[in-house]
Amino acid sequence: MAYKDFREFLTKLEQEGQLLNIHDEVKPEPDIAAATNAMSKLGQETPAMLFDNIYGYTNARVAMNVMGSWPNHALMMGMPKNTPLKDQFFEFADRYSKFPMPVQREEKAPFHEVEITEDINLFDILPLFRLNQGDGGFYIDKACVISRDLDDPEHFGKQNVGIYRMQVKGKDRLGIQPVPQHDIAIHLRQAEERGENLPVVIALGNEPAITTAAATPLLYDQSEYEMAGAIQGEPYRIVKAKDSSLDIPWGAEVVLEGELLAGVREFEGPFGEFTGHYSGGRSMPIIKINRVYHRANPIFEHLYIGMPWTETDYMIGVNTSVPLYQQLKEAYPNEIVAVNAMYTHGLVAIVSTKRRYGGFAKAVGMRAMTTPHGLGYCKLVIVVDEDVDPFNLPQVMWALSTKMHPKHDAVIIPDLSVLPLDPGSSPAGISHKMILDATTPLAPETRGHYSQPLDSPLDVDKWEKRLRELMQ
Amino acid sequence: MMHTCPRCESKADLMAKSPVEGAWEVYMCPVCIFTWRSIEPESITKPEKYNRAFKVDPADIPLAENVPPLPAKYVNK
Ligand SMILES: [Zn+2]
Repeated sequence: MAYKDFREFLTKLEQEGQLLNIHDEVKPEPDIAAATNAMSKLGQETPAMLFDNIYGYTNARVAMNVMGSWPNHALMMGMPKNTPLKDQFFEFADRYSKFPMPVQREEKAPFHEVEITEDINLFDILPLFRLNQGDGGFYIDKACVISRDLDDPEHFGKQNVGIYRMQVKGKDRLGIQPVPQHDIAIHLRQAEERGENLPVVIALGNEPAITTAAATPLLYDQSEYEMAGAIQGEPYRIVKAKDSSLDIPWGAEVVLEGELLAGVREFEGPFGEFTGHYSGGRSMPIIKINRVYHRANPIFEHLYIGMPWTETDYMIGVNTSVPLYQQLKEAYPNEIVAVNAMYTHGLVAIVSTKRRYGGFAKAVGMRAMTTPHGLGYCKLVIVVDEDVDPFNLPQVMWALSTKMHPKHDAVIIPDLSVLPLDPGSSPAGISHKMILDATTPLAPETRGHYSQPLDSPLDVDKWEKRLRELMQ
Repeated sequence: MMHTCPRCESKADLMAKSPVEGAWEVYMCPVCIFTWRSIEPESITKPEKYNRAFKVDPADIPLAENVPPLPAKYVNK
């Protein structure tokens, strides 16, 4: 099932008891970020928050933590909110394999209601605020940023929808961080080689399928819109921009049309990042905004990012794990069971696999490091047997405790690529990586005493079912 | 009234006023682009109380690394 827009998803969250309306008066700083950070501490099943009484504003509304829990992630996919994480993973993998789903084009969208082309002031249009104390300003960090390949502009799949951190740097100016690994950096490079500005559209307050697709590591020529359709199981609805050929999510609350300025870099940051550290103090490109549209009384959806876990980790947990799982399955279709790459966007990944023979699990670990996502992540890959649930950390710790022999099973590979934001990389972007093989040794690798694994008493499954009934 | 950037201590500009009159103002520094709201805690708004680890020397700003790098034709201009 599909949510037609952001508001319909909020309504669903409210019906399911997963939206907390906060009518208390809050200050823009530090209250909204503080409340959101505090919410993340309350467990893995927390609600979204909607603030509607913000000091100094007359009718502003700010939505936070919208996908910041496993129930909200399940509802994103239209599943019951209590769906176990491992089931969400396999359902997501199933829908991911249905890519591409063709899009549905529309002429008009709700965000056309209000249009501004003169005297644009982003500070008046959006209730902007600071997230973390060291941040250099007010950021936009959950918006879809859309751009096209200038050398192949008709290629729908090469149009990119991504989520990038953007610092509001003036009434109609944004700074953006397109690190070289990001698709938009390819588009910017093309534009700068030509000496032309790059048209961009920024869509804020979207239903969650496109946010999920935009945050999924897809291949360069794969369309996020066609992936959003696959995730929601219905064609994704888009509408054309007015100043360019870019396509915009139909259900957006606020849309900014503008251009990335060729040849311009300006001081940006710092900004508290998903690594739990600040990054910044570098010179980054600038977007000039030429046109704004929004729904009447728009809701500003924002993302608190900080020391993990926060909403970011729920947002990019399953959709990072699934592509890695699919790419490993392409190499080893009969062995790979599941992948958990939820830790700091997959800097640590856990792979559950069957093995063909001794040494196989280490090959799986190396393959994970050489997938497209693994090139920038997978600093540590833990490989476990097929009967260990990689989403169940006590089980993973048991495997490490009993199956891993440091002399044989800890493999360090020197000086591989990693994302430059990894604070441990030295120089930035280079790090050793490690495989921990926590699988049971298999012939011809015969070592240890693993011939008598514990079984369970008979009828445990029957009793588990009965106990659940009794405890209801 | 002049407003001093808490981070690099340059002179800053008024960016926005609260829709409710008199509640707050937002300032931005044209040199280091630091942005703040008048009612934030003094550890954000006051130059002498701003976290020293996050201070910026205007002389360092032109030396900041370009991310992504600029193509040669822009650098040689
Ligand atoms: Zn300054």
